[in-house]
Amino acid sequence: MSGIEKNPLIPAIRVTDLTVAYGDKTVLWDIDLEIPRGSMVAVVGPNGAGKTTLIKSIQGLIPRVAGVVSIHGKSYQKQRKEVSYVPQRGSVDWDFPTSVVDTVKMGSYGDLGWIRRPGRKEHEKALGALEKVDMLEFSNRQISQLSGGQQQRVFLARALVQSASVYLLDEPFQGVDATTEKAIVRILKELVAGGKTVLSVHHDLNTVSEYYERIAILNVGLVASGRVDEVFNSENLMKAYGGKTSFFPERKSTRRAV
Amino acid sequence: MLESMAGLYSDYTARTILLGAVSLGIVSGVVGSYAVIRKQSLVGDVMSHAALPGIVLAFIIMGAKEQLPIFIGAALSAVLAVLLINLVTNNSRIKTDSAMGIALSVFFALGLVLLTYVQRMPDANQAGLDKFLFGQAEALVEKDVLIIGLTGFFAILIVGLFWKEFKLLCFDPDFGGTMGFSMKFLDVLITAVIVSAIVIGLQTVGVVLMSSMLIAPAVAARQWTGSMGSMVILAALIATVSGITGVAFSAGFENVPTGPAVIICVSLIAFFSILFSPNGFLTLKFRDAKNMRKIKKNYVLMALYDLGLEHADLGYAHSERLLILGSKKGFNVRKSLLELENAGYVERAGDGNWRLTQSGIREVTDISPMEKVHESTSV
Repeated sequence: MSGIEKNPLIPAIRVTDLTVAYGDKTVLWDIDLEIPRGSMVAVVGPNGAGKTTLIKSIQGLIPRVAGVVSIHGKSYQKQRKEVSYVPQRGSVDWDFPTSVVDTVKMGSYGDLGWIRRPGRKEHEKALGALEKVDMLEFSNRQISQLSGGQQQRVFLARALVQSASVYLLDEPFQGVDATTEKAIVRILKELVAGGKTVLSVHHDLNTVSEYYERIAILNVGLVASGRVDEVFNSENLMKAYGGKTSFFPERKSTRRAV
Repeated sequence: MLESMAGLYSDYTARTILLGAVSLGIVSGVVGSYAVIRKQSLVGDVMSHAALPGIVLAFIIMGAKEQLPIFIGAALSAVLAVLLINLVTNNSRIKTDSAMGIALSVFFALGLVLLTYVQRMPDANQAGLDKFLFGQAEALVEKDVLIIGLTGFFAILIVGLFWKEFKLLCFDPDFGGTMGFSMKFLDVLITAVIVSAIVIGLQTVGVVLMSSMLIAPAVAARQWTGSMGSMVILAALIATVSGITGVAFSAGFENVPTGPAVIICVSLIAFFSILFSPNGFLTLKFRDAKNMRKIKKNYVLMALYDLGLEHADLGYAHSERLLILGSKKGFNVRKSLLELENAGYVERAGDGNWRLTQSGIREVTDISPMEKVHESTSV
């Protein structure tokens, strides 16, 4: 049976010994990660650190060399419906001939299963999700006519339709306008407040403390994971980014105090 | 040509041929839409060319022009070509386009060599095998049409059944995968459907041109619609009309092979669509030019209006030179003035001077506030 484990101590996501390789290149090395239920977690790391690979391999989209993933204490395969995925906006072709509402409806395909088509119920649900992301007026628009921020909202709406308990997002703020970024953060925080778990690949280190309570710092191996105020420090960032980043939270906190 | 079409309807053989063309049109329109949407148009091209050695080998093995073995042979060698392409691109530095180019020519060359070899055989049975190159609809018999119809029916049935799953496959396979749909299975399924569409088109349109039969109707349809459903239907319609026209054409003129006739027809429709559809090349160019003219005209109108405000007389006449100096980009003010004169918004006041008419003043007040603000700040 799928579903959310009653015991709150069982993490929403548990990754054990996860190793992934493409050809002769190791992309993820021996990752052990626990994401507590009801937390909002950032995955950060330099380019090629395996952030997207982590999100994908949690969902079995990429074959693993080794490792086990469990969602609410059971295997991902059993808990598929508890997991909602927001891929990178740039990973699809927005020229695909379809409307906004039809794209959002795709989120209901999993519940429908093979062959059955979405009906009125799924349509209503899609419109509800579009309302949440403030895109209702665009429901009949061609997806090719959307701006980057609007595309990202559509993707989020599609994930909301799935009514899952774990949300995996791949760079939801990449190339979106400030209004959209705020709107997405607000929705994600609402989800977390409602007991859902959010794991999001994040690029902008400046906003980590503001948006997230927990963080996983990645560079092929897991450098650190835990509460943002405990592990998001210069030492760990140096380990992950090397000399490649000039960002340190200490500096930011002084700037903030001004 | 009309006579030949009328003749086709009355004739039993001709009806068979038409029926074949219609079925083929529907199937290739529907299936081709997927090839185009998945950006696999060239794969269709490779597969249809690569079918040739399979056709000839099937004939050599069976010793006769049997329908079913030829279909199977064609499908097998088409699929083999695609598998080889995947094998090469996955295990070497060779890119997909190069691999496809090589596979297409190698398989097609092999087919031609086999064809020449077979044609030298004393057996008269091989006659007509070369018709697979460019297609010959006249050679269709009832049994052929039955197979085309049946295969097409199943192809469309599969597309209909897995409609939403194929949508996922085309738009966002990763997302589809997370919902438990096997994208590998769907990929194989749609490829099988495309292969079967190619195979049933070989006799009518031929291996060389079959890919256009898949691609052109879908490309044409895509220009007119923004939904997968209407694209598929429209593509089927376009392919069917082209099929019928092509068949009628080749029946009306001696020695015109069906394939090229059908393809010319469908290509003309695609060409027209690319130019004149609502998002077509010429439509957009025309719209841009129209917008540009309107902006320039508004600019001149606003300039006259603002100058009039300065003179506390909106109908005050101003020299054309003043307007030219006032225009930043140095566009053709005279041309805009002449157009405005035709519209009755401005009139000549002698000595190369122009002034706003009453309707010109009204037009200025109708131009949106946003434009007004913008224009008056830039003058």
